[in-house]
Amino acid sequence: MNSIKHKGDSIILTQKKNKKEIIDSVVRLLFLITTILSASFIILIIIFISIKGIVPFVTDNNGIGRVDIITFLTGRVWLTGTAFQSNLYSVGFIIINTLYIAFLALMISMPIGVLTALFIAKVAPKKIAEFLRTVVELLASIPSIVYGLFGSGVILVFVYNLAEAFNIQSKGGNSVMATVLVLALMTLPTITAISEVSIRSVGKDIELGSLALGATKTQTNFKVILTSAKSGIFASAILGIGRALGEATAVSLVAGNAKSGPSLGIFDITSTLTSTMLEGLKETTGIDYDIRFSVGIILMIVILITNLILNFIKRKVGNVDVK
Amino acid sequence: MKNILKIMNLNLYYDEFQALKDINIDIENNKVTALIGPSGCGKSTFLKCLNRMNDLIEICSIFGEIEYKEENIYKPNYDVINLRTKVGMVFQKPNPFPMSIFDNVAYGPRCQGIKEKKRLEEIVISSLKSAALYEEVKDRMKKSALSLSGGQQQRLCIARAIAMEPEVILMDEPTSSLDPIATLRIEELINELKKKYTIIIVTHSMQQAARISDNTAFFLMGELIEFNKTDKIFTTPLQQKTEDYITGRFG
Repeated sequence: MNSIKHKGDSIILTQKKNKKEIIDSVVRLLFLITTILSASFIILIIIFISIKGIVPFVTDNNGIGRVDIITFLTGRVWLTGTAFQSNLYSVGFIIINTLYIAFLALMISMPIGVLTALFIAKVAPKKIAEFLRTVVELLASIPSIVYGLFGSGVILVFVYNLAEAFNIQSKGGNSVMATVLVLALMTLPTITAISEVSIRSVGKDIELGSLALGATKTQTNFKVILTSAKSGIFASAILGIGRALGEATAVSLVAGNAKSGPSLGIFDITSTLTSTMLEGLKETTGIDYDIRFSVGIILMIVILITNLILNFIKRKVGNVDVK
Repeated sequence: MKNILKIMNLNLYYDEFQALKDINIDIENNKVTALIGPSGCGKSTFLKCLNRMNDLIEICSIFGEIEYKEENIYKPNYDVINLRTKVGMVFQKPNPFPMSIFDNVAYGPRCQGIKEKKRLEEIVISSLKSAALYEEVKDRMKKSALSLSGGQQQRLCIARAIAMEPEVILMDEPTSSLDPIATLRIEELINELKKKYTIIIVTHSMQQAARISDNTAFFLMGELIEFNKTDKIFTTPLQQKTEDYITGRFG
């Protein structure tokens, strides 16, 4: 301990110690350094994004004018592109879009993922379960751009045709629905894998206890196993929503990049915080460039708040007292 | 009907290994039957045959007959679910579900389709009373069952079994993970319960068997060595092996 706190004394102290103690303190120092390093990078990134992101609100942006923070947070239009040269940027509708899409995607992927997990963990014969587990792990490791390609090649066509069947002209299939489907596909493996682990770790004794009471296997699976695994299932939802909120590449290929909103109709084009940040990032300068860092701050805050809320609910749900 | 369960020529195999050899026992109504014997002698395996919990072990195959109320429970198309509601089970380690105390007891009746709140409440309260737990938990029925002590959890598991209105309760070393005081309470409870239920209990403790049971069966290496009134077994055993075991020469 001393060797870390008082560097000056450490030489004298360590000389007296035997070899094992020296190794011990060196290793401890190593841990400390790596921890400080990794933590400081996160803090550095946050500081950097914040400094860049604050620029549009505090400077006059080379004569275009200051961006009003209230309009930015609550407005319904994103006037973008160097051609417009305006300070009318707002993300209010984009925040709603983002949460709306993530929510819908989870509505699809949660039930499917949890039921798949239940099937793999409790119903499927061993060999099939083993096979499915590998498939799910593979799916989880597919890069997001591949999902994006699948989305623009297959899902867009599907959504376009579906919209046409309802006599709606969709913009090439770019829509809320396409984005939701892509995100549902992307979050599915994560949710399945994590739920499966938590379902599998439910004690055999609880399962037997239920069966011995004359409950059927199905009753046991739904009433006892899923309730016992709910904390792990909730954790999978938190990770799933994290991915749904944070995914940029695949989303920007199918969202359609709406400039106003919010887009609530399922065939409307839409935009998310991430797709807005990504769109045209390489071709723009000045305020149009800086404002994307502001969106980055908003995205971090949205994810932080969502996680806090979900963790709060998780703690409540995990506790039987509230029932 | 004096004997609620009749076990005839029961043989049980785990793959090639024969765990039970030609067991014949009649279980008397409203009596406590204790199964004793050293570890691995097949007494728990035997117990699990009685509510067909061994069905869940894939490598397990069973031959012979077990008659519950004069019907062979191993005959094809026998209603196993119904059997398990009539032949309840309490496990070695207390295994309450991670739900509230109320929901734990109401679980079985709910699975049988009882939804009416008032009826469920009646069942839960009377079951908890029968399991001598009601007074301790009546103010915290909505609290998690996992907040109870080990002994309370085991009594909750007994209440859970009673809620099904069974006729037989199987107990697989129900006190082996409990302290002496909690053990004593469970034993008192068993004494009380035998007025209404037939109880079959596996136990490692010969003192426990002597204290609470009416009949005792001694198992060794998958065979039933001796089955008799408990006082006979512990005072004048007929078999040398029984005497060796109860006097502590092995086991």
